[in-house]
Amino acid sequence: METFFTRKRIMILIIVVIAGIVLGRIALRAIGNLMLGGSLFGGDFL
Amino acid sequence: MRKKNKKGGRHMFVWLCIGAFLISFIGSVIFKLTYVSPEMRQYSVNWSEDIGTVQKDFKYGEADANTFDLYLPKDNAKKSYGLVVYLHAGGFTSGDKNDDAKMLEWLCSKGYVAAGINYTLRSDANPDANIYTQSMEIKQSIPSVIEQAKQLGYNIDRMAVSGGSAGGCLALLYAYRDAKDSPVPVKMVFEAVGPSSFYPEDWTNYGLDQNKDAAAAMFSVMSGKTITADMFGTKEYDETMKDVSALLNINQDTIPTVMAYGTYDKLQPYLGSVRLDEALKKNNVTHEYIVFPHSGHGLQNDTALYAKYMQKVVEYLDTYLK
Repeated sequence: METFFTRKRIMILIIVVIAGIVLGRIALRAIGNLMLGGSLFGGDFL
Repeated sequence: MRKKNKKGGRHMFVWLCIGAFLISFIGSVIFKLTYVSPEMRQYSVNWSEDIGTVQKDFKYGEADANTFDLYLPKDNAKKSYGLVVYLHAGGFTSGDKNDDAKMLEWLCSKGYVAAGINYTLRSDANPDANIYTQSMEIKQSIPSVIEQAKQLGYNIDRMAVSGGSAGGCLALLYAYRDAKDSPVPVKMVFEAVGPSSFYPEDWTNYGLDQNKDAAAAMFSVMSGKTITADMFGTKEYDETMKDVSALLNINQDTIPTVMAYGTYDKLQPYLGSVRLDEALKKNNVTHEYIVFPHSGHGLQNDTALYAKYMQKVVEYLDTYLK
């Protein structure tokens, strides 16, 4: 029985989760900026 | 057999990655929408009868929209109270006093009588409503607000006026144009992203700097006056717009002001706020001008500066309205 969560897959999952968090935040900020104005970067991340 | 298992495991991992991405993406969006930073938490309260009571929909005029709410502190034993009026946003065409319940509750928790006031919004049903008529309704409402508070046992002897966006514009107008006629002294004003002047060259967000006729048409609707393109840049224009431009009412007696604006504002011109700051400086008016360098009309990308704005509001309230 081979291990499902190999070291490589765990690394890929971590990268995918981080990408999801960052892109979700950027997408929301982009929508807000589109409606109200604002810069995509700078200011507060949270 | 082993090869088949390996392929199935790979497929399952791909689906796991897709699920993890979607959950992270949506979770990140929800977190951003609901997160309140520690420095901002102090500017909201969990409303209860231990803080105060709300009495709603008192009438102050003939129009359907002429109503106000009062947020009354639990401690009703003081000899006198400061009143803080907060005027709602909505581009002069939408919004309601209930939209600012959180702000009004917080102001009440600070010991002030807080009032949210509705005004007639411009709509198909009310095509003649404009900034001037709305500002006059606010002026008309203040004596009623003070009288109603008095009848409920809260003697008002000083006040502040405030608001956001359209409400900020109307708050500035009351503070700078009408304070001299107020039944009680107006001690300060605080507002965010309210338009205070109407010069086409500032209104680049709508391209009005490139089209003077469009600017004249838009400012005519906003002010309720007849503006033509050839009036821009003349004394006559400033005289005509004085009724709806807080900027044009600034003098050395103008009251202390806290104001916040975003440099990327798409709905009202940031350049107008630069003019406002310069006029306040020129007249030695005590004021705080907080610029949000990454934000637009929602002041949404500079949380730390929003906390600074609220901190200044508290400082000014403590200094001028306590």
